[in-house]
Amino acid sequence: MEKDQITQNADTSQNVDTSQNVLMLDNVSYRYDGAKKPVLKNLNAAFARGKIYTIVGKSGAGKSTLLSLISGLDVTTGGDILCGEDSLNKIDRDKYRAQNIGVIFQGYNLLTNASAVQNIVLSMNISKSPEKDKKAYAYALLERMGIDRETADRKILKLSGGEQQRVGIARALAHNPEILIADEPTGNLDKETENDILEIFQNLAHTANHCVIIVTHSRRVTSIADVVYGIKDGMLAGYCSHGTGPEKV
Amino acid sequence: MYILKNAMHNLVRNRGRNLMIGGIVFVIIVSVVTALMINNTAGSVINDYQTRFGSEVRLSPNQQKLQEEARQNSVDGMMRLSVPQIAPEDLIKYGQSDYLQKAVYDVSANADSDDLIAVNADLGPGGGPRMMRMGPDSTGMPSGDSGVPGGGIQYYFRMTNAFDEFLNGTRTLDDAYDTTDFQGRFPDNINECLVSSDLMDASKLSLGDTVTVTSRMRDMSSTPENEIITEINWDLLIVGVYSDLTQTDNDLNNLQSAYEDRRNEILTTFDTITANMNDNPAGIRVNATYYLKDPDQLEAYTAELRNKGLSTVWDVSTDSAAYNRIVKPVVALKGITLTFVIIVLIFGAIILALLASIAIRERKYEIGVLRAMGMKKLKVLSGLWTETLAITLICLILGLGVGTLIAQPVTNILYQQQLAAVEESTVNQFPGPGGPGGMIQGQGRTVSGFMLPGGSSDVQPLQKLDVSLNGLTILEIVAIAILLSSLSGIIATQRITKYEPIKILMERN
Ligand SMILES: Nc1ncnc2c1ncn2[C@@H]1O[C@H](COP(=O)(O)OP(=O)(O)O)[C@@H](O)[C@H]1O
Ligand SMILES: [Mg+2]
Repeated sequence: MEKDQITQNADTSQNVDTSQNVLMLDNVSYRYDGAKKPVLKNLNAAFARGKIYTIVGKSGAGKSTLLSLISGLDVTTGGDILCGEDSLNKIDRDKYRAQNIGVIFQGYNLLTNASAVQNIVLSMNISKSPEKDKKAYAYALLERMGIDRETADRKILKLSGGEQQRVGIARALAHNPEILIADEPTGNLDKETENDILEIFQNLAHTANHCVIIVTHSRRVTSIADVVYGIKDGMLAGYCSHGTGPEKV
Repeated sequence: MYILKNAMHNLVRNRGRNLMIGGIVFVIIVSVVTALMINNTAGSVINDYQTRFGSEVRLSPNQQKLQEEARQNSVDGMMRLSVPQIAPEDLIKYGQSDYLQKAVYDVSANADSDDLIAVNADLGPGGGPRMMRMGPDSTGMPSGDSGVPGGGIQYYFRMTNAFDEFLNGTRTLDDAYDTTDFQGRFPDNINECLVSSDLMDASKLSLGDTVTVTSRMRDMSSTPENEIITEINWDLLIVGVYSDLTQTDNDLNNLQSAYEDRRNEILTTFDTITANMNDNPAGIRVNATYYLKDPDQLEAYTAELRNKGLSTVWDVSTDSAAYNRIVKPVVALKGITLTFVIIVLIFGAIILALLASIAIRERKYEIGVLRAMGMKKLKVLSGLWTETLAITLICLILGLGVGTLIAQPVTNILYQQQLAAVEESTVNQFPGPGGPGGMIQGQGRTVSGFMLPGGSSDVQPLQKLDVSLNGLTILEIVAIAILLSSLSGIIATQRITKYEPIKILMERN
């Protein structure tokens, strides 16, 4: 079986317990409606708990497309994405988006007419967060992202790109998802905040045992990755990175 | 719960757009509330008059047949058109029918008395036998004419069983004549009567006195050469005194005879006046008003009357003239408001549909974000519906309030226009009765030997239509509001099912 083979691949290539795998790409292909060539061709990969993955590639390589598939916003045109045992093509993807994953979008995708804190509380409501005082929790979370109370109460429209990015990250983390997906999360941040954010990612993966998948151009981000995947010509190539730069597995 | 909260937040966040949509919904609701209030009020007025005038049966002599008869009987080139009478016992017979809800009899007799001195006696007697004179060039429109050559019988008094004025307060029992052993009251036995205080004073009478009253009539078979006079006598016990306020100073100044002075009316019971009518019916006039249980049974009732012997000289009809005169302006108004409601709803629906469509397009990104965060389509929709419903509800409350406020002034303007239009077209068609005063009192006297065409033109159209908000109107408005908000909701539903979140977000990025 294809799936078994992938699992085995992941097993041998990454030397981790397969039971830690939360997400697997099983021969994933994707072609946009009406496009001649597929953007993604037969991708196979495994994503495990407790690790940070980065996906690198040229602009237009299909990184965002892959993330939208992983985050259940779209479905593959070929192959399967498995969350645990279940195919994303078959499960309730609304629930998956609301509870299993947190997504930091490249374009932030915040409700621009609402305040930062309202965005986060709404997201917590949608994911049925058990938190009692959601507002207090949201303020605290934003504080950790470097957003003070006054800024947290301002409409998203009136925030800078960097501030919006931080709110986007806070929202993705608000319901403590087991998989965090981020599309260029540090693009608009200064070095200091970038360090803070990266620390959060590291804690999330290495301490809280979550799976973090980041699309990035930044070497700094890549430097904290446990696994680096590169996309080229619609194909995926795996690298291993432990602070020494990309290294072929 | 958070859906509701978020919807409320959204209402405030998007004030500009919501005010615009709300404004339009408000205008639609105010217009519809006003129009529906008028429409429903008009509807109930029409219903009311339909039962009142549509069920009130009218027996009137057919003028054509009368003229034919008169022409045949003509001897000297002058046509004497005597209006036929229906015998009182026949009127009572006609009143005993399963088709009727009720029959009301009004009876009167012309009278004289040696025991009474009439109020305004110096004006002399009046009244007299009704004969209609029709010249060869007659327009066919008879006129009441008491001056019959050859000596009509004239009277000072009139006996009647009409007590209507005690209900509207223009007549009241006068206790100034009460004594310790006789207190004034209404007659409840045969041969008891009420007379006016002025007549009491003029005749120097006291409560408990008995007066003899005589009614003389020329018999139907009388000819100028051979007068046959019949007489009925009553001994009436005066059991009460009434004060009379039915006549204005102007009325009193224009009296032609003592007979016309309503203070000379002797009020007694139906049974008293009709006690001897079987032997001598000519002296008494009975007016009967019949009310059908169902206006649609007129034909069946007519057939029954013919069976019971009603001559074909008599037309049996409901009072359609009065009905039309009153109901026409209301029907016109109802039609206008209905058209108005339909136009407002059609245009309103189109505008709202366009607005909803634009609003959803504007909110595509927002919807995409919510969906990306994992909100279910159904929840997104219920949020949008909640917003629309809230706007509608606010507009509904404001609209009902404002609509109720402006409905009456708007009605007044519209109704006056309809009234003027209808009055103009009917005023020449229905001349008032030319009969002498004192003959037709109260309302709805329909059967009488003196009934003239259009005789119920004393029934005036409503001068004012009082609109009010009733349960039905509120129900209709709520239904319309729900329909309007559903329209927006359906458009939202259709749009949202069409767009996938990723597509929406991608367009944005
Ligand atoms: N909605 C779309 N329809 C058709 N083609 C698209 C659409 N979105 C992206 N693409 C194309 O797919 C390819 C991959 O895009 P994307 O995944 O955004 O690249 P990346 O994020 O790696 O820069 C690009 O060539 C882009 O033009
Ligand atoms: Mg991209």
